[in-house]
Amino acid sequence: MFRKVLIANRGEIAVRVLRACREMGIPSVCVYSEVDRTALHIRLADEAYCIGPAPSRESYLRIDRLIDVARRSNCDAIHPGYGFLAENPALPRACTDVGITFIGPSPETMELMGSKTAGKQLARRADVPTVPGTDDPIDTPDEAQSIARNMGYPVVLKAVAGGGGKGMRVITDDEAFPSAWRDASSEALNAFGDPRVFLEKYLDSPRHIEIQIFADAHGRVVSLGERECSIQRRHQKVIEEAPSTVVTPELRRKMGEAAVRLARAGGYVNAGTVEFLVDANLNFYFLEVNTRLQVEHPVTEQVTGLDLVKLQIAIAAGARLPFAWETITPRGHAMEVRLYAEDPDNNFFPCPGKILARRIATGPGIRLDEGVYRGWVVPLEYDPLLSKLIAWGNSREETLARLRRALDEYTITGIRTNVSLFRRILAEPDFLRGDIHTKWLDELLARPRPPAVPPRPETEAAAAIAAAYWESIQPSGSSTAQIPSPSSRWKLDGRRSQLDRQP
Amino acid sequence: MKFEVHLDSVTGKTKHIVDLEKDGSSYKVSLDGQPVPADVILAAPNAVSVILNGTAFEIHIAPSLDGTYKLQTGPHEFQADVRDPRAWRGRKAGALEAEGRQQIVAPMPGKVIRLLVNAGDHVEAGQGLIVVEAMKMQNEIRSPKKGKVERLQAKEGQAVNAGDILAWVD
Repeated sequence: MFRKVLIANRGEIAVRVLRACREMGIPSVCVYSEVDRTALHIRLADEAYCIGPAPSRESYLRIDRLIDVARRSNCDAIHPGYGFLAENPALPRACTDVGITFIGPSPETMELMGSKTAGKQLARRADVPTVPGTDDPIDTPDEAQSIARNMGYPVVLKAVAGGGGKGMRVITDDEAFPSAWRDASSEALNAFGDPRVFLEKYLDSPRHIEIQIFADAHGRVVSLGERECSIQRRHQKVIEEAPSTVVTPELRRKMGEAAVRLARAGGYVNAGTVEFLVDANLNFYFLEVNTRLQVEHPVTEQVTGLDLVKLQIAIAAGARLPFAWETITPRGHAMEVRLYAEDPDNNFFPCPGKILARRIATGPGIRLDEGVYRGWVVPLEYDPLLSKLIAWGNSREETLARLRRALDEYTITGIRTNVSLFRRILAEPDFLRGDIHTKWLDELLARPRPPAVPPRPETEAAAAIAAAYWESIQPSGSSTAQIPSPSSRWKLDGRRSQLDRQP
Repeated sequence: MKFEVHLDSVTGKTKHIVDLEKDGSSYKVSLDGQPVPADVILAAPNAVSVILNGTAFEIHIAPSLDGTYKLQTGPHEFQADVRDPRAWRGRKAGALEAEGRQQIVAPMPGKVIRLLVNAGDHVEAGQGLIVVEAMKMQNEIRSPKKGKVERLQAKEGQAVNAGDILAWVD
């Protein structure tokens, strides 16, 4: 096992990895930027080193400084967490150069599977379904149209040089094809100087379902089942759950086998996630591979009973996966919400600031993974993720009830959070039925919000009493409590006698 | 002690008179002239527990930049403007005005992007003093009182943390 592990991250994931190390009896080393001196992972750390100023380019993304800290503190492994350098092959390369183990896949695997196009080619070779399409540019509209007919509508034309929706046209029927072709290629020419387009099957309202895989260095690859991550706001996951309401044991087996085939083809080692799009007929298509631990990994931990971070460390140290993949079937149901310091009433603007007070959610079936505490100032330099609130229960209904209950218990005072977004989603009939897709949340947010439930008169009375009471216990003239500079002793004495006259 | 509480919520604005009279370790509470069976305590930092006629409420309170309070209980939010009898004497035209020398502090970490006044300027209560930008949002920090800008510590372009002193107004 490792002598000591460097945790090359911050926030809740640094705390998560630190806890895993501590449970395994491995000393760990934390790093921080200048603004993170007071962060929770540093308060909990055994050893901590400053690696530079607040901007992540000058601290958490500095491979040279991380390697330097690792060597100075005698670490023999680095855990990258997620984000920052977790999917940058330069970090595992730098680790290899100095004889430190990177807890994750090899840099070659990262390059092979991490990029969208390379990943798609590998998926084809591994017989993993990808979104049907041509990939290569098509020369003539007639040729394209006959491919579209064979593929079946709807299809989408995309610019080869494309991005940002430019040169993209969704075509729902044969008649619309010629004009869509003209529009797409002229738009592509104007936007990118390259009129070439290719054709893909268009998936209408797909789900995002991903498979957690694990591979050891001895050739065993397993699937730990799926996570449903279709609740997204502008492509950012907001709620994740396992199991998915639409995945049958048969589909789970098929998706798991496809993910394992892909991992084998890429020589994958350690934890990884294979993301798929799933259409209304439950056909699944490869989307991309995340060559790291995911934010939403606790959902899988709750339904499998495994500790994925400890498993990552053990596998990096050369351990074998201790089970056959057939033995892993999800038990119960788990759901995670990502609580952010952002204002849902103001376009989800980040709202960092000081956490004046907190009331924490606990009790049966509740887990809170976080990197915050009362009195801490959420810095504005980083992702404003505060807490991951995870609920689990025997059924989806019980899990939903626990999550709702925990969201009512969990309050943060002093900064705005997106908790009201979850209250809204958890009241939507579509969501409760599991009738969701990747654009569902964006569509929901585009609709006018249902009118807020008005407070009852007793609630308003209690609020008025609380406000008056709060005012009464504020130190008299609290905002002036600072000692004034003694510019004039006469003035001071005058003030004091004024105060004495207060009844 | 009598307080005039102006509440603002989704149902609109209301005004209540709350009288809190110390009664041993607790308070006798009356609301809009009527005695009410209410028990009120500070349960935790920034959390007031009110048991009103047997119904329990926990109300979380945070001060706002403009001197009002933000109240949260369950899914409900209120903005409360509490007028304290201790501050009534010097108040003009109904506005709540701070007394004495006032420290102007940065309410959030950010960057000072504009100074709207100079040291020595006379300012009115509510007049903008300094613009602080945090997460691409500009926030004008206003004077809590009529008076003179004694010292201006903030400089344009300066990065500030929450609680940093920007100026004094006396």
